[in-house]
Formats: sequence, C-alpha cells, structure tokens
Amino acid sequence: MTQENPGEIARELARLGQVAAPEPGVLDAAREILWAAVAADMLSAGPPGPARRAADRPAGPARRAVLPGPARRAEPRAADQPGPEQDG
Amino acid sequence: METDGTLIERSCRGRPDAFVEVVRRHETAVHAFLARRAGPQAAADLLGEVWVRAFAGRGGYDPAHPDARPWLYGIARNVLRAHWRARPAPGTATQNADPWDDVVDRLDAAARAGALAAALRALPPAEREVLLLVAWEQLTPAEAAAALGVPPGTARSRLHRARAALRLALQEAT
Repeated sequence: MTQENPGEIARELARLGQVAAPEPGVLDAAREILWAAVAADMLSAGPPGPARRAADRPAGPARRAVLPGPARRAEPRAADQPGPEQDG
Repeated sequence: METDGTLIERSCRGRPDAFVEVVRRHETAVHAFLARRAGPQAAADLLGEVWVRAFAGRGGYDPAHPDARPWLYGIARNVLRAHWRARPAPGTATQNADPWDDVVDRLDAAARAGALAAALRALPPAEREVLLLVAWEQLTPAEAAAALGVPPGTARSRLHRARAALRLALQEAT
C-alpha cells in the first residue's frame, strides 16, 4: 500500500499534527466510562440460570396458553419502530 | 497476540470485557486523533463517548479486519461531528459551519506553519479528512477509506488532489 512519501509536506503536516500526551488520568477516566457500559451489558445478559433453562424446556399446554396471539404480537412491534424524530 | 477482530468477536459472545483490551491498544491513538482536531480538553471529554459508542456498535464490526483503528477513527469522527454540531466553533454563525477554521487557528498558533495551515483550510473537507488520516494517523489510503465509509478509490483520488493542492500552495508561498 502506498504510504505518505517523506518530503517537506509530510514533515510539515506531521509537525502540525503533534499533540501532547494526554494528562494523567484522562485515559483511565475514559476507560472507566467504558467499564460502566461493559458492566451494564454483563448485568443485562445475566447468568445462564433458571430462567434460561426454563425457556429451553419444551413448551407444554400451559405455556402455549400464555403465548401472545398475532394481534397481541403486533402491538409492541409497531411501538418499537423508531419514528423520524428518534432518527434525527 | 490476538487480533482486534478476535477480541471484538469474543466481546460479542459472552465476554464483553474483552473489548477493554481493544481500547487499551488504541486509546492513545484515538485520544491524539481527537486532540488534533478538537484540542486536548475536548479530547478528554469525548474519549469516553467514543468507547461507549464503539462498544454499543461492536456487533457490526467485521472480525476479519485485524486492526480496529480505522473503525474507531470513524466512530471518533462521528462523535466529533456531534460535538461540533452541538457547540459550533467560536465565530461561526451556524451549526453546520466547518469547524476547521477553529482547528487551524489553534494549529497555526502552536506550530507557526502559516502557509500549510492556510492551504489545509482551503482544501475541501472531504479531501482534508483523507489527507490527515494518512499523514497524522498513519493510515493507509484503504484504511482511511474504511474510516470514512467511502470506496478505496475515492479515498486515493481525494488524497492525490489534496497533496497536489498543498504542493502548489507551498510552492506559491515560497
């Protein structure tokens, strides 16, 4: 892959682009924000506990009885669709 | 050493903490990307937002790409644009104004490379972005294309035009 040819422009550009190293704690603070998101993700996923095992079981008559029919399914799906305001 | 792609894929499959290693690898580079364009204070403020957006969007990363830097720069670019939209550069009247004038003023004061700074200011933003991803972030033109979401050929032609314009501007200045 062609790289920037060393020359006056490249040297000057590199000089223009020099920045100081981040202040102490800046990178750590940003990583803390990420860790909060990671922790929330781990908590929302939850461990593979009883709920998951129950879901894996074959559904019996009682389970089928509480499944939403087509009309009930359509409501939350329609509500989940993002509107134009949410996109913008 | 595992590639970024492997780590990101693992982070999507029950080990979200694997993503933190990707961040450790590139945090200095992404901070510099932000600081070059928005200054050190804004870079410090925005870096966490970049990580959160990248983490939320990791499911869309193609693990076949071993180096996540172009993808992270693309996200950092979007965070910067949102930052500039929310807080226009001083002296600009509209929220859609090119914030580069403010960037050049800061660079010019710091580096005293007036002719080059003026030439950069005169470049179309799309050409300037490719040029600086290659010159400052050391991306290949193909990687810069990935960061910007444009075809590689488009990035190469923009880079070619930007270099030619800068060369001409510097010749005229001397």
